[in-house]
Amino acid sequence: MVNFIIDGKKVEAKEGATVLQVARNNGIVIPTLCCHESVAPSGACRLCVVEVKKGKRTRIVTSCLYPVDEGLVVETKTERVMNVRRLVMQLLMARCPESDVLKAMAKEMGIEPQPAFHPETDKGKCVLCRLCVKACEDVVGVSAIGLSGRGKDKKVGPPFVEDSKACIGCGACAYICPTEHIVMEATDGKRKIWGRSFKMQACEKCGRYFAPVDQLKYISQKTGTSLKELAVCVSCK
Amino acid sequence: MKSIVENFDLFAPKLVDKEEYYCSGHRACQGCGEALAIRLMAKALGKDTVVTNATGCMEVTATPYPTTAWKLPWVHVAFPNSAAVGAGVEAALKSLRRKGKIADRDVKVVSIGGDGGSFDIGFQAISGAMERGHNMIYIVYDNEAYMNTGIQRSGATPYGASTTTRPAGKQSVGNTTWKKNMAEIMVAHKVPYVATACHSYPFDFMDKVKKAKKVNGPAFIHCLAVCPTGWRCPSDACIKMGRLAVETGVFPLYEVENGKYKMTIEMPKKLRPIEDYLKPQGRFRHLTPDQIQIFKGMAMLEYNKVLERIKHSKSWSDMTS
Repeated sequence: MVNFIIDGKKVEAKEGATVLQVARNNGIVIPTLCCHESVAPSGACRLCVVEVKKGKRTRIVTSCLYPVDEGLVVETKTERVMNVRRLVMQLLMARCPESDVLKAMAKEMGIEPQPAFHPETDKGKCVLCRLCVKACEDVVGVSAIGLSGRGKDKKVGPPFVEDSKACIGCGACAYICPTEHIVMEATDGKRKIWGRSFKMQACEKCGRYFAPVDQLKYISQKTGTSLKELAVCVSCK
Repeated sequence: MKSIVENFDLFAPKLVDKEEYYCSGHRACQGCGEALAIRLMAKALGKDTVVTNATGCMEVTATPYPTTAWKLPWVHVAFPNSAAVGAGVEAALKSLRRKGKIADRDVKVVSIGGDGGSFDIGFQAISGAMERGHNMIYIVYDNEAYMNTGIQRSGATPYGASTTTRPAGKQSVGNTTWKKNMAEIMVAHKVPYVATACHSYPFDFMDKVKKAKKVNGPAFIHCLAVCPTGWRCPSDACIKMGRLAVETGVFPLYEVENGKYKMTIEMPKKLRPIEDYLKPQGRFRHLTPDQIQIFKGMAMLEYNKVLERIKHSKSWSDMTS
């Protein structure tokens, strides 16, 4: 156990915990976009910045990555922290002017988009937080999508923006996306995601389409269950 | 079968909050749908929540003194006033925040109650809280009778159900009336977000709770909770019964955002025969084919009413001029 101070409050935390986890457990609100407990933190969105004082040095760090330490003094609401957060928010809003999630967050923080930051038009709602890429790799285990390009051309998607053979159409990326950038469309018998159309499996008993065939094949392969057993929907099992 | 579930470490279910706010060890019956629904609700709401709970199954089973299954601030109140206390907590939080006595963060007040504490006894408190526009959610867990006290009939009991106060017999079919349509009553209160849900559709239910949390004002969710004890069905049929209720059209899942109706679950083109839903339940065992037709008529009336509204309803903001 380590003892340290956060917003003037003495707290105790397990070794190895991050500042963000401890702050949230103590009821301190820190906004985040790219933080999800199912995937490892990456510090991509930069909204969770806090001020950390260790010894004589005070610096701004991302709380989702910074491990707690004995004698640390953390401030989450100082003017310096808020300035950084406001700037990050302005940049995110300029990147994704259409995102309702960002608009709501900005409103909560009392920020108006400033004319100095020219809004982008071709980035959609993606903030490049990498949650989808990591969920696909760590949680699903297929690594169908990744980041390509550098700098301002960096974008997320299947390799070479072609139909990915590895993708199983499970939709975990669309579910985890914090800004609703990834769109999954479902019509009768078809599911469309990342530009590729997936054939859906109809339940053998009731005929309802319930999961992509590729996903069932993958589950079958991974769990050693026969496809026939998986071809029945949850309602008919 | 078990081995599949163990290896089923896949995708969206893995991405749900892993923290448990409604813990194991509570004393609900085996296969209780209501406990499951509450667990999902708490996961969707997260840590910054205050729950007020009317008397009912969930209060009795979750908190036998001196234990509790809740990890959230939780108030048990009398049978009729869950919504009234919720409204009071909301007003108090607002006031304390304004005076700077508590940290300025968004804490949602959620009032919950069973169908008895909501459809019958607590009705006036809900009506008042919703009409005054408190920033809170009311969630009713409807298991279609007073199950906790021994299966007495409530305003949510459907036609033909045999209950201890309306038993089926030679002269009686059981309950003779249909469920009160709470969702519609709440829409009439001009509640900005009203939804019906069921624990058998966990993602749909959690999405609705998350949506209700975002509403700055009152929100109401009517959640069907299967009660194997009172419905006289096997406890392993809990999830199945919920899905059958939806697929037969007895309990359609829809949401009403500012007056605009929308179906949230894709309904089968041809509804399942209503017998699929009635046959496994002991409370409907006595129904004759004629009585099943009456049941079907009542259920289809409600279902078609919803379909009509989905076709014709408009958002309130488009109807002011």
